[in-house]
Amino acid sequence: MPATVVTGSPEFLHPLKGVRPPGGKFLHIYAADIGRGPDGRWWVLGDRTQAPSGAGYALANRLVLSRAFPALYRDMNVERLAPFFEAFRLGLAAMADNSNPRICLLTPGPFNETYFEQAYLARYLGLLLVEGGDLTMRDGKVHVRTIGGLQPADVIWRRIDSDFADPLELNSRSRLGVPGLVDALREGGVVIANALGSGVLEAPAMMSFMPKLCRTLLGEDLRLPNIATWWCGQKAARDLVIAKMDELAINGAFGNPLPGLTSTSSLIGSSVTETEKSRLAAAMAERGADCVAQEVVNLSTTPVWHEGRLEPRPFVLRVHAAHTPHGWKIMPGGFCRISGRADARAVSMVGEGVQSADVWVLAEKPVQMVSLLPTDETVRIRRIMGILPSRAADNLFWLGRYLERSEATLRLIRALSGRMIESGISSTDSASAVTKLTSLLIAWHAAPQLKTTHAMALVTSALHSDEDYGSALSLVRDARRAASVIRERLSTDTWRLIGDINRDLSIDFHGPLAEAEAYERADAALRTIAAISGFSQENMNRGAGWRMFDSGRRIERGINTCRFARHFAIGDAPADDLDVLLDLVDSQITYRSRYLMGVALNPVRDMVVLDSFNPRSVAFQAERLNEHLATLPLLSDDGMLEEPRRRILQLSAEISTATAQRLDNEKILGFEQGLLALADAIAARYFLQGPHVARAETSSGLA
Amino acid sequence: MIYDIRHLTLYEYGSSVTFSHCALRLLPIDGPGQTVLSSQLKITPEPALKVERLCFFGNRMTFLTIETAHRKLTVEVNTTVEINRTPPPEDDETPAFESVREEAFASRSLGRESPAHFLFPSRLVPRFEPAADYTRECFPAGCPILTGAKALMRRIKKDFKYDTKATVVSTPLSEAFEKRHGVCQDFAHVMIAGLRGIGLPVAYVSGYIRTIPPPGKERLQGADAMHAWIAVWCGGAQGWIGLDPTNAIMIGNDHILLAKGRDYADISPVAGIILGSREQDVDVEVDVLPRG
Repeated sequence: MPATVVTGSPEFLHPLKGVRPPGGKFLHIYAADIGRGPDGRWWVLGDRTQAPSGAGYALANRLVLSRAFPALYRDMNVERLAPFFEAFRLGLAAMADNSNPRICLLTPGPFNETYFEQAYLARYLGLLLVEGGDLTMRDGKVHVRTIGGLQPADVIWRRIDSDFADPLELNSRSRLGVPGLVDALREGGVVIANALGSGVLEAPAMMSFMPKLCRTLLGEDLRLPNIATWWCGQKAARDLVIAKMDELAINGAFGNPLPGLTSTSSLIGSSVTETEKSRLAAAMAERGADCVAQEVVNLSTTPVWHEGRLEPRPFVLRVHAAHTPHGWKIMPGGFCRISGRADARAVSMVGEGVQSADVWVLAEKPVQMVSLLPTDETVRIRRIMGILPSRAADNLFWLGRYLERSEATLRLIRALSGRMIESGISSTDSASAVTKLTSLLIAWHAAPQLKTTHAMALVTSALHSDEDYGSALSLVRDARRAASVIRERLSTDTWRLIGDINRDLSIDFHGPLAEAEAYERADAALRTIAAISGFSQENMNRGAGWRMFDSGRRIERGINTCRFARHFAIGDAPADDLDVLLDLVDSQITYRSRYLMGVALNPVRDMVVLDSFNPRSVAFQAERLNEHLATLPLLSDDGMLEEPRRRILQLSAEISTATAQRLDNEKILGFEQGLLALADAIAARYFLQGPHVARAETSSGLA
Repeated sequence: MIYDIRHLTLYEYGSSVTFSHCALRLLPIDGPGQTVLSSQLKITPEPALKVERLCFFGNRMTFLTIETAHRKLTVEVNTTVEINRTPPPEDDETPAFESVREEAFASRSLGRESPAHFLFPSRLVPRFEPAADYTRECFPAGCPILTGAKALMRRIKKDFKYDTKATVVSTPLSEAFEKRHGVCQDFAHVMIAGLRGIGLPVAYVSGYIRTIPPPGKERLQGADAMHAWIAVWCGGAQGWIGLDPTNAIMIGNDHILLAKGRDYADISPVAGIILGSREQDVDVEVDVLPRG
């Protein structure tokens, strides 16, 4: 083979020369796009060795289909996919040098087109989903930045392209990788699947050598032929291609645009002009190595239901193979893409309008039920908090804060709409409450200042405006953004509810809503948030992730409750103000049952701020925060308090020793500022803070 | 000729940096006509870890891990190099460019000197047809490769304005080409794009050029800073020959070679990610003093 077949690929990465992966295994997962000719023969259209996608989509398709047609699925003896994935995971685990390795799925992040699949697979296989920023290289090893300090990452299944994996030695513009990763590979300090640079095998130029390579290396013919390919870097092939151009498709040899023709990377000889053909031939004489010619393959079709009838559509199939402790295993199924157009030439099988389908491989006999569950002997029972990457902690915390802030804003909206319905601003008493509620919504940037003339216009903005960053809509969008990067940590129900509330609030509005309608919308949104709270309380494992999420909610609720109290529970507040406050903190029933007389300042203040039995009081939030911070992992075992814990202990003591009689706005403001400072201390201690990432330390001492 | 070279790089950060990985390519290597007599690298703050290794292209790389909090990073290199190059061959001693092209694409070597690495687009030198068209005019059919390369070098020197203010490291090749201006790096990248565009293997070379001109001669551009030029592969027999498009001269005893790669991105003198610093300021000083 001429060296240029390899060096022409942008995936040939010079710094990787001589780097051998532990165990000598370069490929762990491989995919091929295959197509069926009209004669029924199958062809490999392309190899995928970089970071093949599609396996997760196949799995997702399978779940949908097997639920939609359970009987059909069972009776037709469809081969299960689970054993393949289990074997793949075992294959990854077997590459590490310890028995219980941490396997990370390295994603380019939520802006990548296959992020959904990556998050899905991470959750299905129990892998830690990480972005480059979550990892750091120290002393020849790769670590995950977690809230418990740096923790080793033993195996990395990468879904980022090799070139982006290490800005220090590869593409310096990459923000997706880990500086020093290549050096860690050199030291054998981490296993990466597939090996960096494995994408070199994807080049169409390589396909022209496959039949010969197979005979030379394995002494046999390819079991599944690839489409006939001629690499134009050699004179004999080039002359042949130029002579027969009408019968061939011409493609970039390394995924590049064709020389001599601007921005075209693929064309069919028979469909271009003579001028273009001669331009291409001249360019090939100079840089033939940039081109391959391929046989024009016609694909057979599969029926598709389209506009009320069956239509034939060409398709390609992506099939997967994984390296496992027991050799290569083929996934009994695949990811099928069906063209949006009737054009059956393989070359047109890219782009828009593509549908996907599940692929069933049928067995002779009923298929044994196998799921991802391992056998008893292979599992060591553990009850652990689990490691939480700092970035995930950050997003969980802010998901909690945004949800809670949405809730507080919705409560203000509901209270305001309620007052408007009841009183129609007749009594002066109620006017004061209405003014205070509107001024709070404006101060929280839920609605613009100008609309104060019409209270319901303001309420409508506060619900649905996407221009005001404090509106309920903006806040639930922020919540969804935070949630979207940690989807693998949230239940599908939670994610769906966040989507529901987003959808319900994202509506075009023309003019102010009626009071009752605004009330009902805020109330409905609050019920959805209550459902999310319910899921988190009842369904989320009490690991570090839940504690971070709940800490976010507690801090935000504490801050908001302080603000409510400072507005509505001041020295000469009218009874109606106190009544609004009890509404805002959902404490009407408790108050009425505990105090038989009407509302009075000190009992209300006590219930809202100091009463630790009340799950909406500031005191209650402080107690929960203290529990969370006491349970989260420490960086050092020297017995000293970490900054967030020190702050919450101090704040809790102040709150629990305060009395309603001596509570004033200044004191409440002090609590509020204490909570804000605590939020900063939590961010500094647990989240990604650039280089200031803490290392876990163990001090030794005699007990 | 013996040169004493001092190369100082100073980074200043807006906020304190507590941890960084970087990679330096600041130490020259021995090569044909070049002997490194001594070289010294001084880094402040002292790195926690310092590993030296040759990169794929044979350049000396120093990997650093700095774990001391710092706002300022200085890298000072002092080297003494002896240069005694043999003059390049006559133009007609080099083969016709078409046969060089055929030989290069057919090469079976993946070694660091192989032309196979230097034929394709690289990070900073993408395919750029206008540069290929510009180059084609310098290479009439059957012309010896060195004749064509020299014609291209002179054409670039004549058409392009040397302007240290016009471009920065990230200025794309197409912009420097269309505006016909730039610094040594742009001149080199344009020449590389042109030669690769017509299928010839060409490398990017960084280094220094003597600061003080010999008596009666003009001071060369690119002194007091790092310089860059190109090397074109002239077939297996003649190998790599250096040309300096910024000054339209062949590489001789005034050039000190530091590193060779496909383009600047392969051999940038300081590569590294300094995490967390919002702004950074860099200052470079270079002195090249001939002895005696």
